[in-house]
Amino acid sequence: MTQSSGKPIVKLTGVTKTFAQGGLEVKALRGMDLTVNEGEFVAIWGPSGSGKTTALNLIGALDTPTSGQVELEGTDLSSLSRKALSQMRRDRIGFVFQAYNLIPVLTAFENAEAVIALQGIAPAERKTRVMAILKEVGLEGMEHRRPNELSGGQQQRVAIARAIASNPAVILADEPTANVDSETAEKLLSMMARLNEEKGITFVFSTHDPRVMKYARRLVGVVDGRVDTDRAKNSGEE
Amino acid sequence: MTGFKLIALAWRNLWRQRRRTVLTLVSIAFGGFLAVMMTAMQDRSFADFIDTAARLGAGHVTVQHPEYQDSPTLTRTVEKSDAKRATVDADKAVHTSVDRTSGQTMLSTASDSFGAIFIAYDPAMEDENTFEFTDGLIEGTLFATASDDGIILGKTLAENLGAEIGDKVVFTMTDRHGEIITDMERLVGIVSTGAPSLDAALCLLSINTVRKSLGYDPTESTQVAIFLEDGRGSLAAAERLRTQLGPEVAVLTWDQIQPEIRGFIAMKVGGGIAMEIIIGILVAAGIFNTIFMSVMERNREFGIMMAIGYSPAQLFSLVMIESGLLAFMGLIAGVAVTAGPYYYLSTTGIDLSEVYAQSGAVEIGGVGFDTTLHIGIFPENAMIIAAAIVVATILAGIYPAWKAGRVNPVESINTL
Repeated sequence: MTQSSGKPIVKLTGVTKTFAQGGLEVKALRGMDLTVNEGEFVAIWGPSGSGKTTALNLIGALDTPTSGQVELEGTDLSSLSRKALSQMRRDRIGFVFQAYNLIPVLTAFENAEAVIALQGIAPAERKTRVMAILKEVGLEGMEHRRPNELSGGQQQRVAIARAIASNPAVILADEPTANVDSETAEKLLSMMARLNEEKGITFVFSTHDPRVMKYARRLVGVVDGRVDTDRAKNSGEE
Repeated sequence: MTGFKLIALAWRNLWRQRRRTVLTLVSIAFGGFLAVMMTAMQDRSFADFIDTAARLGAGHVTVQHPEYQDSPTLTRTVEKSDAKRATVDADKAVHTSVDRTSGQTMLSTASDSFGAIFIAYDPAMEDENTFEFTDGLIEGTLFATASDDGIILGKTLAENLGAEIGDKVVFTMTDRHGEIITDMERLVGIVSTGAPSLDAALCLLSINTVRKSLGYDPTESTQVAIFLEDGRGSLAAAERLRTQLGPEVAVLTWDQIQPEIRGFIAMKVGGGIAMEIIIGILVAAGIFNTIFMSVMERNREFGIMMAIGYSPAQLFSLVMIESGLLAFMGLIAGVAVTAGPYYYLSTTGIDLSEVYAQSGAVEIGGVGFDTTLHIGIFPENAMIIAAAIVVATILAGIYPAWKAGRVNPVESINTL
């Protein structure tokens, strides 16, 4: 097991997840153990159906395990109520989805502001923080545009801005580069790597995109619902 | 998220499907329009019927001998009516009160005899708000004082009797002692009420002429007719006056005097309520469809919102706010659509005299009514309709809102 020296943010212990699909039981996870520490830039990779997205959903408190334990910052997620899980997602987890998933009726600024508005942060502080983040992700001057007025890459930048605005413990990114071209993917990954390095934001990716693995500093290979390989990349290694 | 943010988001969500929202608003507005118009027609005819029944009968509230209702003979009278009217007029709900004596009589002319209903009145006490026949004169004159000589007949009755202005008409009644008395007056006027049964049976006399013929005191009559500012307050007014006037007289409401009118109004009100319920269900179904479709279409979006930290309660609230905004806008649209036609129909109305002339139906239970269709809604009913629209719209949003709050983020996000 390869881990950085930061404190544990995410910890999966013996996690299984079984779905009923068309009358059949599908075992998506078969006893996964994984710890992600603060400040890591981790890519969970593997073939389709290997369980990487399921793992991300469990870490993100979007789903509950069939057995085993999922902890976020030391809190067992299975012990939380629906309301507490909502608060956990709002305050401690940031999501970046493959399909951007912005709220179409909100502008770039409002989308980025959405989560911290839920946290009840004062409007003036929200504005300062969101404008700074939009600048950081290269969307200065585009804050009033709605998602349909932005390119795919720009929408994903808004999604990243939304994810980091609330200062979460971890950002979970599910195939964040799948819907953008190579150049945009490079820019996005470079930006996220920079945010990780400069701000210490913990990123966990679910991916089979080699570009993501190039940027990742730890690669967790998942096969048949279990961690198969887990290795830290050396500095300069691609 | 602050309430204001949720409201802003709900507002924008409503306009994502502009056409659907507009259609929903149109259906709410049209439903409100129908409900208001139907209720206004009903309320106005209800009020008109009460007032007409009061004018033709014996007021919104009637003071009479305790046995007069069951046995309306001229031996059962109200004495010292002036003192009783003074008590009655002191009541805050009372517009005015008048003496009336009415009963049955046999009328004869040189050519024929017919039974009739007579009403003896004091023209000085009455006006167009208390007496139905003052604008129905088609020939001759009305009485000017309580002691004027002469007799006024309904149009058909005059024709049946073969009587013309100036002709002698003999009337026969039973006096207060049960004795048959006969007197004679000359025909001074002919009235047309618009109600065929009334025109064939109505006979008007001045009240002192009848008092003299029947041997009544100058302050004696069969009824004291009380007219209220608002006829709907008759029950409460009757209860108050009953206490004040004591057991020597009966105090009855207009619908106790004329129960057939009450039955007709109850039937109309019942039918109107049933129609309004149907309209309400149709409107609510339309709104439910709109909101439910909009929630189902946004299933994935709700999953995303749940994932980024919206709570189930916030998603529920969001959809409920959308319903509330629809209700509010629907209400405004309803007022905009209804105001013009309502104003026209309440002031000018629609002349239906030709329709009624063909059918001949211009009376209910012996009460003639205006052949011009007017509307006028009671304020409390307008409030009920407005509240019903808001409540129906909000109720229609509850299930979709619940669905939004119960969304499974993992399943929703995977929805294409």
